[in-house]
Amino acid sequence: MREFVYHPPTFRQKLDAALAETRLRLINISRYPGQLVMEIIIPLVFASMPMLLGRATAGADAAANFEANTGTTNYVAYMLIGANIFTIVTSAFWHVAYWLRFEQETGTLESIYLTPTSSVTLLSGVALHSAIRGVGSALIAYFIGCLIYRVNPLQGDVLIALLFILVGLIPLYSLTLLFGAVVLKVKESNALINLMQWVVSFLMGIFFPIAILPKVVQLIALAFPPTWMINGVRSALLGVGFFFGEWYLDLAVLWTFLLITPYVGMWVFRRVENNLRRNEGMGQF
Amino acid sequence: MKGQVIVENLKKIYLSKQRTGLFQSRTTEVEALKGVSLEIKAGEIFGLLGPNGAGKTTLIKCLTTLLLPTSGAAWINGYKLTEEDNAIRASVGCMLMGERGLYWKLTGRENLDFFGALYHLPAGERRRRSSEIIQRLHLEEIADRAVESYSSGQKMKLAFAKALINDAPILILDEPTNTLDVPSARELREIVQTLNQEGKTIIYTTHIMLEAEILCERVAIIDRGEVIAQGAVVDLKQSLGREKVIRLEGVISESALRAVEQLPGINRAALAMLNGHNQLTVVTAEESNLLPRLIETLTQHQALLQRITPEEVTLEDVFIAHTGRTLADNTSLQ
Ligand SMILES: Nc1ncnc2c1ncn2[C@@H]1O[C@H](COP(=O)(O)OP(=O)(O)OP(=O)(O)O)[C@@H](O)[C@H]1O
Ligand SMILES: [Mg+2]
Repeated sequence: MREFVYHPPTFRQKLDAALAETRLRLINISRYPGQLVMEIIIPLVFASMPMLLGRATAGADAAANFEANTGTTNYVAYMLIGANIFTIVTSAFWHVAYWLRFEQETGTLESIYLTPTSSVTLLSGVALHSAIRGVGSALIAYFIGCLIYRVNPLQGDVLIALLFILVGLIPLYSLTLLFGAVVLKVKESNALINLMQWVVSFLMGIFFPIAILPKVVQLIALAFPPTWMINGVRSALLGVGFFFGEWYLDLAVLWTFLLITPYVGMWVFRRVENNLRRNEGMGQF
Repeated sequence: MKGQVIVENLKKIYLSKQRTGLFQSRTTEVEALKGVSLEIKAGEIFGLLGPNGAGKTTLIKCLTTLLLPTSGAAWINGYKLTEEDNAIRASVGCMLMGERGLYWKLTGRENLDFFGALYHLPAGERRRRSSEIIQRLHLEEIADRAVESYSSGQKMKLAFAKALINDAPILILDEPTNTLDVPSARELREIVQTLNQEGKTIIYTTHIMLEAEILCERVAIIDRGEVIAQGAVVDLKQSLGREKVIRLEGVISESALRAVEQLPGINRAALAMLNGHNQLTVVTAEESNLLPRLIETLTQHQALLQRITPEEVTLEDVFIAHTGRTLADNTSLQ
């Protein structure tokens, strides 16, 4: 028998473990293909509702009224972007909460806690899978939506828009750590996800500019990274106006979130983990 | 030291909610481990024996870092619990909760590969080890099928396979033969013995007394969160101070009796007539290997043996002697 010597994992080994988690999630979802189709249809339906409502209430003036409030006449693209970024954001929360909750209930969560791979490493694997799924289906849904409603999907600064999405993903998944910690703590996910979806859609202004919100609510909304993500994309593509006037200033704010939120998320998550270990353990639900 | 486990005065208190109504509850303390101390030597099969609710699983969850003990200390493979948890996780293979620890949507092989990655094995080694384990446990036919299609015994075997993936010096098994049928349970015990011969230390939890007797050199008997007896199986039995009794029935002559009396290790031997045949009762203080010599001597003296009933002291007797209760309703061997 070989002699056992423990070496802390290298970055490469951690990456390997995270990718194994991503692969596992992707294999899992590939065994429920119907769900992937739904993920593309839902944001389309979601964006259509306010669009049709707008046409019904504002009639021929819809575009002009909309421009007065938002700075763009293209309310179709505005709604499509809103619905699709909302999809990215909620699926992030949903995938992470569902991952923890499902594994807790089936019993595999204890199995992975037996291994030397940390939950944060695994979470980054889950996040990668979730980002591939979320961003992938959001892009597809956006292009299909633009085709259906006959607007140009590639107007404005497409690269800057993509940059806002990519940079925004890290603080987004850091927030999901906080959310995951709450899920572990209260041992519930469905009601939490429902509540979270309404709060999130409201705060990030999926169908309206946050400027129309009361001042206090605006401030809370600005403390929420996805608000910067969605506004960044809309400003880059439709020219609705960055919060700080220039794209790089807004992006810098997202970067600041990116540098701070992971540590806050990890700290809270680890505390909840240790709390559970001190009492009944991760496996009980 | 590698392969060694030392546990010192480990305590675990669960805070649990007692439901008193639909939305009312009261928090109570459950003292699942009341100061457990153990020493498990490198290279042995150590049995953790105890009835339902004794605290076996709780102890294992503490030793595998799933739970933080309320107080006390432990060293596993030389690593200190709560301080070097990742080293402990890496150096222990554990089978806990059986089939519940597996991904049912994945195949057996995909499960092994996934857990191999979490133990930081490189892809090539993962593949090689998975195949090796699949072969060793005769899982070839089902290895590439989704686990949800397995029978519960096959799931149990895969859960055992998962515990082997990191090739750890210590293997901790929590009631691994649960839900296995007789031949599968026997096969699994044989594999455990082989793994032990290859050098692995094995901690084997069971509530089946005979299983511990067959497999383990040393055991700790746990009851209500306390170790009530610990040591070599032989010593524990002898500590009861009872002599071993073997009864043989058949056609046995006086000369055979005299030959038996000459054997070393025999305290007493008596021949009686019973229902038309002879019954030879042999009382001995010596363990094990007496029986083959006894049978050999008797057959040399033309005895015809029909029935042998060794009345051994069992671990069950040890448990009864300490607690005044029987170990469990069903302690028969599967
Ligand atoms: N989360 C928990 N909260 C409160 N009490 C618990 C909890 N988990 C276990 N216990 C209690 O701790 C005691 C020991 O349980 P444990 O599961 O360790 O027993 P065991 O020896 O493994 O039993 P079995 O042979 O049935 O598996 C039991 O009385 C059990 O009710
Ligand atoms: Mg148990």
